Amino acid sequence: METIVEITNLSKEFKGKKAVEDVSFSIQSGEVVAILGPNGAGKSTSILMMLGLLHPSSGEVSLFNQRPQEQKVRERIGVMLQQVSLMDALKVKEVLALFRTYYPNPLSMEELIRLTGLQESELNKRTEKLSGGQKRRVSFALAMAGNPDLVFFDEPTVGMDSTARKEFWARVRQLADAGKTVLFSTHYLQEADDVATRILLFNEGKLVADGCPSTIKQQLLKKTVSFKAGGDFPKERFLTMTHVSDVYEEKGRVVIQTEDTDHVLASLFTEGTPVSDISIDKGRLEDAFEQLTVEQGVS
Amino acid sequence: MKMLLNECKIEIIRIFRNPYFVFWSLFMPIVFYFIFTKVVNTGVDDQDLWNKHFLMSIAIFSVMGSAIMTLGIRMVQERNEGWTTWIKVTPLPSSSYFISKMIGQSAVHLFSIAVIFMAGIIVNGVSMSFVEWLSCAAWILIASFPFLALGVLVGTMKRVDTASGVSNILYLALAITGGLWMPMEILPKTIQQIGSWLPAYHYGNGAWGIIRGQFPEFKSIAILTVYLLLFMVLSIYIRRKQEAV
Repeated sequence: METIVEITNLSKEFKGKKAVEDVSFSIQSGEVVAILGPNGAGKSTSILMMLGLLHPSSGEVSLFNQRPQEQKVRERIGVMLQQVSLMDALKVKEVLALFRTYYPNPLSMEELIRLTGLQESELNKRTEKLSGGQKRRVSFALAMAGNPDLVFFDEPTVGMDSTARKEFWARVRQLADAGKTVLFSTHYLQEADDVATRILLFNEGKLVADGCPSTIKQQLLKKTVSFKAGGDFPKERFLTMTHVSDVYEEKGRVVIQTEDTDHVLASLFTEGTPVSDISIDKGRLEDAFEQLTVEQGVS
Repeated sequence: MKMLLNECKIEIIRIFRNPYFVFWSLFMPIVFYFIFTKVVNTGVDDQDLWNKHFLMSIAIFSVMGSAIMTLGIRMVQERNEGWTTWIKVTPLPSSSYFISKMIGQSAVHLFSIAVIFMAGIIVNGVSMSFVEWLSCAAWILIASFPFLALGVLVGTMKRVDTASGVSNILYLALAITGGLWMPMEILPKTIQQIGSWLPAYHYGNGAWGIIRGQFPEFKSIAILTVYLLLFMVLSIYIRRKQEAV
């Protein structure tokens, strides 16, 4: 395995405000990584620094063991930024052909046309006449023009309807299957969970968790019910309940870790367990979790 | 190299597809030329000389406009829409992107000059030696560089509206004070004095010299060079400041 992305102690300050703070991680070839976090968590800022479009206040970025600004790096990456723009006054076909000339080993024109999913008549339209969705598909094809090894998508599905989103992720899976390294940012937990092999969870400029989706999800969804128990607490009985993942004592209180606090509370009362001073906690990732969109609207 | 040529070709295609360019840089100057040499009686002594003189004025008017406006406004547009940012993450060097804009723009200027000169021949049967035609065209092309630099300076502005407003005002003010619409001599004294320190008058003056069999004045060349350097330094300074983030 080859290290494709190496980030060390990356920070960015805007006018004294820390947008990204001391972030370090590395990405191996073939990984599909989601940068997950609420708005303003520093996802885009990090991506812009990885692309060499923003200068870090401190820390370092290397892609393929080189500075991101190097021509050799540019030839191996494909990028779709949040703001999608296409050169106006050109036909779709002309823009595709133009982008092919930028790279040493471009994808074939047929392949690029297939990636846009556009009809022949639409390919001869000028870019400014395309709908927003069509523009996104063209810009996806342009990101692939150089047959890149590493692909960046910054909030790729914002503004897409559910069909377009499904199509988009199907294409990303194809890229992953072809062995490409993919890095995308999102504020949808579901997307990160469905597509990524690894999630980097950002909150307030910091990398707060890094791991495979199931671990991250557990951390995010983990809640606790804690209370003072009068007398002996029937620990074993609660441990066998389906929603409970752990029961332990801490500072004279019993703590029950669960995904479903309501269920635990109901059990406590129906069992008539003598408890007092109950408190419900959402765990250490509460802030990030609160602002994350867990489910993607109606789909 | 192939990349650069291709990029130039694309820039040229884009300019010609811009209806504003075709209207303001080709159609309007020719209409002006027709009106002020055929329709309106300007009462000049030497009609032939006036036909030549005004042909130069109007060719310069056209090239100056497209250098300031077409180039400047498009640069602002491309930056605002994020295209400029995207280009930076492709292997296309930023220098190629910039150089191809200059070359493309100049190629289009050459075309505008040819079309307007043809109009002069067709409308008024303007006749000059081949060397004179060529010298005039070369002057108009080369002396347009300060105005391309002014276009780049306009191109550093943040909003398209501002860029378009400012470049329109600059363009018209320069054209009038430079004697491109009516000869400098009939303008009020104060305007003449101001105009003689602005670049447009000297741009025109070089070509007006050539049609009278003179080499462009040294003072004109010097002033245009100073403006070229000034605009370049200013736009490099502003770009550096914008990129410092």
